[in-house]
Amino acid sequence: MQPRRPLPPTPLLWLLLSLALPAAAVAPWDRERTDVPARPPAAGLPRGILQLAARAALHFFNFRASSPSALRVLAAVQEGRAWVDPQEGCEVNLVFSTERYNPEEEGEESLGKCSARVFFKNQKPRPAINVTCMGLTEKIKRQERDNLLYKQVKQLKNPLNVISIPDSHGHIDPSLRPLWDLAFLGSSYVMWEKTTQFLNYYLVQISRVKQLKTNDDGIDFDFTVLLHEFSTQEIIPCQIHLFWYPGKPLKVQYHCQELQSPEEASGIDEASAMAPTELSNF
Amino acid sequence: MQGPLRGGTGPGLSPVDRRTLLICTFILAVAWGQMNFTGDQVLRILAKDEKQLSLLRDLEGLKPQKVDFWRGPARPSLPVDMRVPFSELRDVKAYLKSHGLAYSVMIKDIQVLLDEERDAMARSRRLERSTSSFSYSSYHTLEEIYSWIDNFVAEHSNLVSKINIGNSFENRSILVLKFSTGGSNRKAIWIDTGIHSREWITHATGIWISNKIVSAYGKDHLLKKILNAMDIFIEIVTNPDGFAFTHSMNRLWRKNKSSQPGIACIGVDLNRNWKTGFGGNGSNRNPCSETYRGPAPQSEPEVAAIVEFITGHGNFKALISIHSYSQMVMYPYGYSLEPVPNYEELFNLAKDTVKALHKVHGIQYTFGSISATLYAASGITVDWAYDSGIKYAFSFELRDTGQYGFLLPASQIVPTAQETWMAIRTIMKHTLNHPY
Repeated sequence: MQPRRPLPPTPLLWLLLSLALPAAAVAPWDRERTDVPARPPAAGLPRGILQLAARAALHFFNFRASSPSALRVLAAVQEGRAWVDPQEGCEVNLVFSTERYNPEEEGEESLGKCSARVFFKNQKPRPAINVTCMGLTEKIKRQERDNLLYKQVKQLKNPLNVISIPDSHGHIDPSLRPLWDLAFLGSSYVMWEKTTQFLNYYLVQISRVKQLKTNDDGIDFDFTVLLHEFSTQEIIPCQIHLFWYPGKPLKVQYHCQELQSPEEASGIDEASAMAPTELSNF
Repeated sequence: MQGPLRGGTGPGLSPVDRRTLLICTFILAVAWGQMNFTGDQVLRILAKDEKQLSLLRDLEGLKPQKVDFWRGPARPSLPVDMRVPFSELRDVKAYLKSHGLAYSVMIKDIQVLLDEERDAMARSRRLERSTSSFSYSSYHTLEEIYSWIDNFVAEHSNLVSKINIGNSFENRSILVLKFSTGGSNRKAIWIDTGIHSREWITHATGIWISNKIVSAYGKDHLLKKILNAMDIFIEIVTNPDGFAFTHSMNRLWRKNKSSQPGIACIGVDLNRNWKTGFGGNGSNRNPCSETYRGPAPQSEPEVAAIVEFITGHGNFKALISIHSYSQMVMYPYGYSLEPVPNYEELFNLAKDTVKALHKVHGIQYTFGSISATLYAASGITVDWAYDSGIKYAFSFELRDTGQYGFLLPASQIVPTAQETWMAIRTIMKHTLNHPY
């Protein structure tokens, strides 16, 4: 499966494009910005590159923070610029707002703000990211919540009698929410590493829990998630094995299923069993 | 009918109980067609002192059936509520004025209240009887939806009918609801949901909106205008085989279930199988791909059925194809960055649409052409519609932006449908006001 290519310009010269794209370009309520540019975005620059870069930066940020109770998601891109250099790659500088992934109390919206530089080298995945964020939950509160989450996971009875999280109707049992947050944290690492300037990912579901071990030195969690790949629309199963202890950096290894070619296809749409391969950062 | 509750200062029924009993009695009476309370009012008077209180009591004694106390004269500084029949209003108000009794009108017309309450009761009775507890805030199976369609059409046969436009690959019926107040081959609006089977929020929205149309028809003047001039067609389960599969085997199935001999993977992306732009970069020729375009344009029965129907009808003026997720309102083209001839008009209409949607629950949608806003997509429904002469062709992506994605919790069905309805209404209004 080829990554999606942009609509090609005339086949000769690629210019070094410096394009200031108004952020949230088509939000009609955003007073300071102009609306959709009169002409379409410059060729070579993928649609939605600012959103894509913001999400990649957040995946990286969440992974590095290693706190399943303090995950951040994108609220809105506020400013952004993107460059494409055919020799070098694609660089995006942006400022965006974030909100808490799991807001607890009513009104605890806590909008954060981040600035990031995201660099895709020659259409390759795993962009280089510099990101700083402000306005986040204080460290002490974060630690408290992480400790609570750790306790909650410890209390879960093994073997877990659960098939999918969320279920088909989007429901997550409150007792399983901590597992979902942990899976999201682990998936953040995977999604960051897989993101290119043309492909980005969303976590759909935990489709299988292989093993969950909680002892005094941490949570050992082996599971399969389904990622939704944009713009191909593919659903990618990834087996993830993570190890987490509150306050310590997350350790994760993973293996994602390659897309079927017509020859290999078995015709049955089930995720096959996978053996984890190389260590990622264990 | 005698006023059943004569004023009293003593204890007994509280004002709420009294009112409830009163209303129940009125409703019974109304149901038997005996009483009409049109124009009757409930006045609230604050008596300043004992003298004024006694004046009020006199009022009751003056003409026994002139007023009916809901909250009788008790002490100064406690409000007195009394129902005054329409025929006595002038006299009573004059009496109050002449004695310096200040009053305010609490209920301007009791009959209106009674009517509303009666309607509400009748409505819930109808619901229980016919839709056998069909919940608009849950997700349903194919069988449940098809059964709801039959009940719905039977209940609202003056406005709705069911059309079978063909069969799916696995031989399931493809059904379309027609909303019409008459006429012959009127200008028409097309709405489809569920072309990608995993996008469950879209079917749920289509169902809710169908119900909204019949329930709002009497009260929404704009909707009435629209239906007096145009017909609305809604295809709720555009991909029935895929939808059945999302329930039985794979919740995240997107395509239909067609297969070709010798090819191991099944399914064609129904939103890449249309003629306009077929085969371009925005689709895939690998049958195992989620955006597999199919062997040929319109090769899929689910697409061919719609093409045949819309082409045969010949008078469609707007088409809205509904997907999820991403929160976007988009217009053609998807297969090319080239702007359509009426690009500016569609841009402005999309802007208004998104504004109307945002007003409902504050949800932000982005808008623009498909190729500029989402990604290149070739062989899609709205491109075909536009090139077939349907000037107002829109593609929606409903909630959310990735937190739940396709697995949107059922609790978001009604809010999503409510805001989507206001968006669709905006497009229908524009279509009505810009005939071509």
